[in-house]
Amino acid sequence: MLDQALVGEVLQKARAGGADFAELYVERWRRRALRVLSGEVKEATSGIEYGAGLRLFYGTEVVYAYTNDLSPESLLELTETLVKLKGSAGQVDERGRGGLDFRKAVAQGLHAPEIPFTARDKRYRLERIREAEAGAMVGPQIKQVQSNLMEWEQEVLVANSEGTWAEDRRVRTRLYVTAIAQDESGMQTGVVGPGLSVGLELFDRYPPAEVGRRAGLQALTNLRAKPAPAGTMPVVIGSGFGGVIFHEALGHLLETTSVAKKASVLSDKLGEKVASDCVTYIDDGTTPHGWGSQEFDDEGRPTERTVLIENGVLKSYMVDRLGSLLTGYRPTGSGRRQDYTFAPTSRMRNTFIAPGNTPKEKLFEGIEYGLYAADMGGGQVRPGSGEYNFAVKEGYIIRHGRLEEPVRGAMLVGKGPESIKRIVAVSDDLEMGPGMCGSLSGSLPVEVGQPHLLISEIVVGGQA
Amino acid sequence: MTFEEARDYLLQKARALGIEAEVLATHSRELTIQAHGGKVEEITQATQGGVGVRVVAAGKTGYAYTEECTPEALDWVLQEAHENALLQSETGGFLPSGGALGQHDLLGEGLSAPLEQKRQKALALESGLRADPRVKQVQMTRYSESETQATLGSTRGVSGAFRNGYALLLTSAIMAEGQSLKQGYEFDLSKEFHALEPGRTAQAFLQKTGRLLGARPLKTGRYKAYFEPKAFAQLLGMMGWFLLSAKNVLEGKSLLAGKIGQKVASEIFTLIDDPTLPGGLASRPFDTEGTPAKRTVFIEQGVLRTFAHNSETARKMGAENTGHAARSYKGVLGVAPTNLFVQPGQGVKQDNGIILSDLMGLHAGANPISGEFSLQALGLWVEGGEVAYPVENFTVAGNFLELLANITALGTELEWNPMMGIVGSPMVEVAELSFAGA
Repeated sequence: MLDQALVGEVLQKARAGGADFAELYVERWRRRALRVLSGEVKEATSGIEYGAGLRLFYGTEVVYAYTNDLSPESLLELTETLVKLKGSAGQVDERGRGGLDFRKAVAQGLHAPEIPFTARDKRYRLERIREAEAGAMVGPQIKQVQSNLMEWEQEVLVANSEGTWAEDRRVRTRLYVTAIAQDESGMQTGVVGPGLSVGLELFDRYPPAEVGRRAGLQALTNLRAKPAPAGTMPVVIGSGFGGVIFHEALGHLLETTSVAKKASVLSDKLGEKVASDCVTYIDDGTTPHGWGSQEFDDEGRPTERTVLIENGVLKSYMVDRLGSLLTGYRPTGSGRRQDYTFAPTSRMRNTFIAPGNTPKEKLFEGIEYGLYAADMGGGQVRPGSGEYNFAVKEGYIIRHGRLEEPVRGAMLVGKGPESIKRIVAVSDDLEMGPGMCGSLSGSLPVEVGQPHLLISEIVVGGQA
Repeated sequence: MTFEEARDYLLQKARALGIEAEVLATHSRELTIQAHGGKVEEITQATQGGVGVRVVAAGKTGYAYTEECTPEALDWVLQEAHENALLQSETGGFLPSGGALGQHDLLGEGLSAPLEQKRQKALALESGLRADPRVKQVQMTRYSESETQATLGSTRGVSGAFRNGYALLLTSAIMAEGQSLKQGYEFDLSKEFHALEPGRTAQAFLQKTGRLLGARPLKTGRYKAYFEPKAFAQLLGMMGWFLLSAKNVLEGKSLLAGKIGQKVASEIFTLIDDPTLPGGLASRPFDTEGTPAKRTVFIEQGVLRTFAHNSETARKMGAENTGHAARSYKGVLGVAPTNLFVQPGQGVKQDNGIILSDLMGLHAGANPISGEFSLQALGLWVEGGEVAYPVENFTVAGNFLELLANITALGTELEWNPMMGIVGSPMVEVAELSFAGA
């Protein structure tokens, strides 16, 4: 994407200015987005994003700059400004001399799409979206269906003064269907949004009609649902996107971004028991075509499968370069960023609770009164206090071990990794779901996942 | 080529192809200084720009944008935008005509202080926090500033530009007392660098987060709620604006559809958006279609007066354009507030209930389509007019429109919170809401 000599010149100029380490990140995105509402194309847009980020380390102090003027003059000027910003311009360091011996690593295309981004037939896209809409019309109460199709292709180059030269091409596609059901009682929504690191073959993996049908059924369920009860009770959390609870309550606490500053309640706890025995928690950047997969992280390091918690014992954190410098932990290929406007930080990829051995049906047995959170929305956490929350998109009351009436508007809240210790049983039906995770280095595609599991008690926020 | 040159290139090409086009080019500069442990830990300096085009071809609208300003990229943009337009099912697309709107500078010398003074502000904020032994960790302390130059042009005669910007002091830290831990944040925003005072921001953090230490669980029940200004602004920015957007009304997503002239809130509630507010952080001379800015009263003493329009929604609904067109170069035409605020009232007298100081989980727990919300909250239990103790691990739930109808008192002073646009609110007292806890 950029001339090797120019990249070398920028990195060496930075080192000559006193930086211990210099990294240049260059990317070009092409994106398309289609929003279709009740059969009508409401918005169609396409775009190119193009830019570079230059990061310099002086010990553990970081200076970062980005620009989307990638001309040689602009990049060299940017480097100069950055070195001056640190206040050590003009220093000549011997590390700045001599050529850089780049070790080129080109992606093998582990997550390459079958249908390339350049397949331009927009009518085909529209037809499949119409199938999703038709699928969502599961009852006369479905008044509207909105479908968003988002596709992007990102070309990345990461080069650094240690000789890293990694090039990657990432294609992702997501279909996001919202069904709106309405009757005298009001308006309710159902949302289903599959996404993978694939091209338009996403439609083969997730037939649009079925995606639409699930959104429609969820909207109907919410329409007849009563407001959720309020109080503390046992909760069975559904498989797949249910894993967002661990993403919030556990995953974010294991990123070195907060661990290094002791700003996580799970700092300094390697080897300690932090969850119940039935919990094994894994962050895997290598899942073929996973929504959060990529061959290299955004620091140019190969992604890996990282076992974070094994049978309740903390085994590893998620570590980026800066996190590694600050803590001494081995980097785990977890340096990620939304785009060139962000410096990377340690972030999750595809993170899930490993399957257990309790049959799903057994989880419900013995619950006198509780909640089944069949599908989850998003959530949020403050790593320092461990306070977290997540919203239930589709929920049912459990009474005497049986699923009964649907309820809506439930929010589960907790504090610290307490709820993790209260997981008493994990089923064997692991599923994954895609989401967008917002944090210091921007909004990123991540998968969350889990089998069905039972939490002995948690605060359910609903109508008192 | 520069973004301005790219704008001219696109307009010229569009004219040659017989396509109506509107081009928005923005160029922004950003500086962020992050302090940690008494040192500057991270500095980010940035320039970013891009050019976005909205075209109308055969009565249909399409969009595309680029940050790469080569003729090849610009040609691709025009071709994709044209293709995207033809894909639309809706006809009747148009671009508003207009004239020269001039060049405006709304920032002036506000951010022109030397770098060293900016570093000192970040460091002073951090040391201000560390002076309190209950502060266990300062996770992040930041000074940042941003300025943007936006240029608008169209084949229908619109042309104009403005420059705006702001400086921000922001911190997030953890306080501890005994077993109790609280992570809080505080910020201050201004168009004038010199108006930021690290000492004041540090004190505000210590007061707001410190008072939550030693929090107890809250018993599930229905209580009177006192929303602090920034907490109410969070909810209003998330749900209120969604309901007022004419775009959502037209798409059948707003619960306020068909309610113009009707009472939709308590009669003490008046909601205004004012892009002409002197010194307003989101003030601007015109919107992203070139419609000159003016003050709009959306809800007047509880009665819904108008929705927020751009030229497209106004035309479709036969309403007056309120000048709320919003678009970034990457985005499509929408509507957005500028300085949106609840008019202050006579004051709030606390007796029994819960002060809500902060809401969490808004992106997932507030559903603007159904109007229902169920949110994690932090706050204080008030008894007999006195704050008794802090409460935690609970949620507050309700329906946003019912909440608006049940507002019983409003505070006398506005505080601003940057949500989408800038949202201002006084203290808001609500007769009763549902709380879930232990």
